[in-house]
Amino acid sequence: MLFRASVRELLRHPLRTGLAVLGVAVSAAMLVDMLMLGGGITTSFRELLLGKGYAIRVTPRGTLPLDTDATLEGADSLRRAMAADPGVAGVAPVLAVRLTAAGTSALALGVDPDEQGVYRLTGGREPASGEAVVGPGLARDGDLAPGDSLVLVAPAALGTAAAGRRTFRVSGTADFVYASREERSVAVSIADLRGLSGRPDRASFLMVRAAPGRDADAVARALSRDFPGVAVASASELVERAGRRLSYFRQLAVILGTVSLFVAALLVGTIMAVSIGERAGIVAALRAVGISRRSLVAALAAESLVLTAAAGVLGLGLGLVVAGRLESILAGFPGLPSAVRFFVLRPGPLLVGYGALLLAGTLAAVVPAWRAASGSIALALHREEP
Amino acid sequence: MSGGTAGDGPARGGDDRAAALRSGPEAERPVVVAEALGRSYRLEGALIEAVRDVSLAVRRSEFLAVTGPSGSGKSTLLHLLGAVDTPTSGRVLLGGTDPATLSERKRARFRLLHVGLVFQRFHLLPMLDARENVELPMSEAGVPRGERRERAGALLERVGLADRLRHRPAELSGGQRQRVAIARALANRPDLVLADEPTGELDRATSRDILTLFRELSAGGQTLVVATHDLELAGGAGRRLELRDGALVRP
Repeated sequence: MLFRASVRELLRHPLRTGLAVLGVAVSAAMLVDMLMLGGGITTSFRELLLGKGYAIRVTPRGTLPLDTDATLEGADSLRRAMAADPGVAGVAPVLAVRLTAAGTSALALGVDPDEQGVYRLTGGREPASGEAVVGPGLARDGDLAPGDSLVLVAPAALGTAAAGRRTFRVSGTADFVYASREERSVAVSIADLRGLSGRPDRASFLMVRAAPGRDADAVARALSRDFPGVAVASASELVERAGRRLSYFRQLAVILGTVSLFVAALLVGTIMAVSIGERAGIVAALRAVGISRRSLVAALAAESLVLTAAAGVLGLGLGLVVAGRLESILAGFPGLPSAVRFFVLRPGPLLVGYGALLLAGTLAAVVPAWRAASGSIALALHREEP
Repeated sequence: MSGGTAGDGPARGGDDRAAALRSGPEAERPVVVAEALGRSYRLEGALIEAVRDVSLAVRRSEFLAVTGPSGSGKSTLLHLLGAVDTPTSGRVLLGGTDPATLSERKRARFRLLHVGLVFQRFHLLPMLDARENVELPMSEAGVPRGERRERAGALLERVGLADRLRHRPAELSGGQRQRVAIARALANRPDLVLADEPTGELDRATSRDILTLFRELSAGGQTLVVATHDLELAGGAGRRLELRDGALVRP
């Protein structure tokens, strides 16, 4: 009964309640965004690495994939040796070379079209020898479509004076998993790129798929032990490394998220203190009638809970809108793979955040409610009655 | 102590019961006794004696009026009798229990079950309708929903508001609001109903209606103590006491 009265009290002042909900919702939106940002990059980075099932990366020692121009020597024999491991289901070599495509700078990836994890075809077909698959940036800038010709010019290879030049036929279009939005990308067979760039039997890195039912981390550890001349890292290891590099994002999110939680609690506390203060007379009268302090505090806390819950739901919507806007701004971050997202909606942290918001909002009302329900009843009635 | 138990009180007692309360041995037994009651407090360093050495006894079904000028201690005396406040000297025995010896939580429960309070400003919950306001103390006391709904309806009918059950306080006149407040005070069948200036915000005609209602309740076996400036209301009570400077001048 008292709960019903308390919750209906919110409807008695629609403007005040509306403004209060909006104010708390803004804080809640900030909290939502910080929760999305807190683990967003690492979550999307993990999805990026595991997107095509290649959970292990093999690179020259001391490097990360696409981090340097360093290459693996004897890449083909290394690939065969690794593929022979019973824990391995497939090995995809990738050679990355920056070159000129259709007159503009582009990143060319040499791949085995039957075993690759760097692009997803969006049109046409996989490239055969002498054919290329182009990314959206290059397709747009070079006005390319399947069937068109594309001239690739590689810089002079080590020990040669002339640059490599070859005309390819575009066989398809694709989204390149690791390319940034502004990047112009092209993929050809690794044999063609090796020939063009003068890098025989080289690969920038290998992508390894663990056999079904095998733990990728364990397979990575075994490969690392068996092939000490190269660096072997599982996706989870790479995510952990990336997470360490991006820890400031998490710290920022934790600090701002905590601040927004405090702001929400302060807002609710202030609103409830004012609202309860206005009802000092009725609170004193109800106590005089025999309504227990616990019932009164519980009813007022429930009122605060309803207010905070409504603000939390609105805040989720606001937070998603703001995150969408921020995401579109940050997506232009130079060099960042376009598939990496800063704001990722993760139900677990979001539920924890919502719970924390409800708890903070409810507790914020407890202090003024307890104070109102704890003073002298007689004194409060003397103040209220003429 | 009988409040809150089945079988007594105006809301459940029939005419026979009321007659027995008025004329039987129970009628002579005081519901509330004040013994050398005092309440003082400090205000800006000065000691204020709001109530001084008040002794009185109120019998079952008695309708007692306490009069006196503003600041004479009427409200304080009512608060002491109703276990809303605790005396600084003397004691109150309500049905043989000294509420001052109870913990805060038990005292609240004691008031809930044994004391009904009526305020000058009604203090009804604006977002609840008349029936819900009357149900509130019963809900706190743990009365099952069906029973409290039925009892609230009967009480509102008794105070003449059978056709206003679903009206919220803002939709009622001052007199109707006070009737709802009186029904609320009777909800848990208290031993004692205390009313502090119950006609203070009402016009003359409405005040007379409230007096009539109090007289009916008293006739039905309800014990009432009313603090009032209203001489007509005081004149309609069965007994009248006057307070001046916290002390009884006409015991």
